[in-house]
Amino acid sequence: MQNSIYIRKTIAWITPLTLLISLLLPALSFGQGEEVTSYINRYKQYEVSTGYYERYEMRPKFESPLVKKFRGLDQKPFAYSSTSAIVRNRSHLSDSHRGIKFYDNRRCEECHINETHDIHTVRANLTCRQCHGPEPIASINHYYSPMNPIRRHAYVCSKCHEGASASFASYIIHEPDAGSSTTRTSFPALYYSYWFMLILLAGTLAFFIPHTILMGVREFFRKKEDK
Amino acid sequence: MMQTMRIKRFSVLDRVFHFFLILTFLIQTATGFSRLFFPTTWGKNLNTVFGGYNTSIMIHKWVGVLMILGFIFHTIYLLTKIDWKNLSTSLFGPNSLIPNIHDAKHLYQRILWFFGLGSRPKLGRWAYWEKFDYWAVYWGMPLLAITGVMLMYPVFASQYVPGWTLNIAVLLHRAEAILAVSYIFIVHFYVGHLRPSSFPMNEAMFAGSITMEELKEEKPDWHEQLKKEGKLEIVKVPPPSFSYKVIYFIFGYAALGFGVYLLVNGIIYSRYITLH
Repeated sequence: MQNSIYIRKTIAWITPLTLLISLLLPALSFGQGEEVTSYINRYKQYEVSTGYYERYEMRPKFESPLVKKFRGLDQKPFAYSSTSAIVRNRSHLSDSHRGIKFYDNRRCEECHINETHDIHTVRANLTCRQCHGPEPIASINHYYSPMNPIRRHAYVCSKCHEGASASFASYIIHEPDAGSSTTRTSFPALYYSYWFMLILLAGTLAFFIPHTILMGVREFFRKKEDK
Repeated sequence: MMQTMRIKRFSVLDRVFHFFLILTFLIQTATGFSRLFFPTTWGKNLNTVFGGYNTSIMIHKWVGVLMILGFIFHTIYLLTKIDWKNLSTSLFGPNSLIPNIHDAKHLYQRILWFFGLGSRPKLGRWAYWEKFDYWAVYWGMPLLAITGVMLMYPVFASQYVPGWTLNIAVLLHRAEAILAVSYIFIVHFYVGHLRPSSFPMNEAMFAGSITMEELKEEKPDWHEQLKKEGKLEIVKVPPPSFSYKVIYFIFGYAALGFGVYLLVNGIIYSRYITLH
C-alpha cells in the first residue's frame, strides 16, 4: 500500500516535469517534414509536378551521340542547382517561344540561322514548319511535344521516312560545325572523324603533289642532260 | 629491234578491272559532284545532264552497287593469285603489292635524288607510289561502299546501328570521295600523262605491256629479277595494233579531259561546300 502511493507520487511529479523539460529541448526531426524538406527532394518533386527535367533527357538517352554530362559536374554531391543547369529552360516549355517580343512578326531564320544550313533544308527544301509544326511550337523535350525523342520517329520522321525507328530519329538534323571545339565535347564522334579525314586528305595531297611534281621536274632536266 | 621488244606487264583481266574502274569512277564522280555541288549553279547544271537531282542519285546508287560487285570480284581474283604453298614469298616477294622495307628505302632514295644527293632508286615490279595507288583504292572502296549502303537504306541501317552514325557516314562518304577524286585527278593523272617519262600517256595499263627500254629505265630491279628467273623470253608480247592504240588514246584523253573538267570546277566551287 505504502509502496504504491510512493510510486504514484513519483509518476505525478516526474511526468509533468519531463514534459516541461521537453519543451526546452530542440524540436524532433519528424516534425520538420511538413515545414521544409531537403533541397534534392524538393527538386525531384518540382520535376515530377512540372514535367521539367533539368539534368536528363527522356529517351533515347543511350542512343544520342550528344554528350550531356560533363566531367566534374556530375561528381558533385548535389548535382541539382540553378547554376549547373546544362540545358536552357526553353527546351522544356509547352510553348518554346513564350514571352518573346514581337514573335508573331518574326521569321524562324532571324534567330535560327544556323539551323537553315543542313541537308534537309538546303537539299530537300523542307520548311521549318514541316517538321516543327504550327504554333505554338512546343519545346523539343516537353513531354507532350511531337519532337520529344520518345515519339519523334513516329510523329515527325515517319512522315517522310516510312518505318523510322527511335534509333533512326537520333540522326542529328541540325548538325553542329564538325570541326569546331564545341563539337569536341558535344558530338565527339563527328569531331574526330572530321579531323581524321581532313588530316588524311591534306596529308596525302601535301605529300604526293610535291612528290610527283618534283619527280616530273627532275625527270625533265635529266632528259635534257641525256640529250 | 630492241625498241619493239615488249614485256607483258598487265593481264587482260587487270586491264579490264582498270577500265571498269575508270568508267564507274568517272560516273560516280560526276553524279556525286552533281549532288555535292547542288547549291551552286554548276552543280545544278551538272544535275540536268543526268536528268535531275533524283535521277542522278539513282545512277549513283546503281553504279555504286556495280562497283561493290566489282570489288568483291576483284577480291576473289586476288585470293586466287596468292600462292598458298609459298605464302611468305607470295605475300612479301618482289611480285607482291604488299608494301615492304624496300619501298621505304626507295622513297628515301627518291627524295635524295630530287635534290641531286643520290642516284635513282632501282625500282622493282611495283613502285611504292603504284602500291599506294592500289591500296588507296582498296581501302577507299569498302569505306565508300559501307557508308554508301548505309545512306541508301538509312531506315534499315538504323536498326543495327544508332541513327546518329548516319551523320558520320555522310561525312566519311564525302571526305573519302573528295580525297579519292583529288588524288586521282591530280596525282594519278600527272603520273600517267604529264610526267616527262610517260608523256603524252603511259600506255602500260591499256597496251598491257611496256618496251624493253622502259623496263630497263623504270624498273631495273624487275628486269634483273626476270633475267635471273629466265622469264624474260616468256613474258615477251607483240606490240598493240595501231587501231587499238588509237582507241585507247582517244578513251584515255576523254577520261583525262572529263576528270580535269570536274576537278577544275570542283576547285572553283569548293568554297560553297563543306566536308560534312
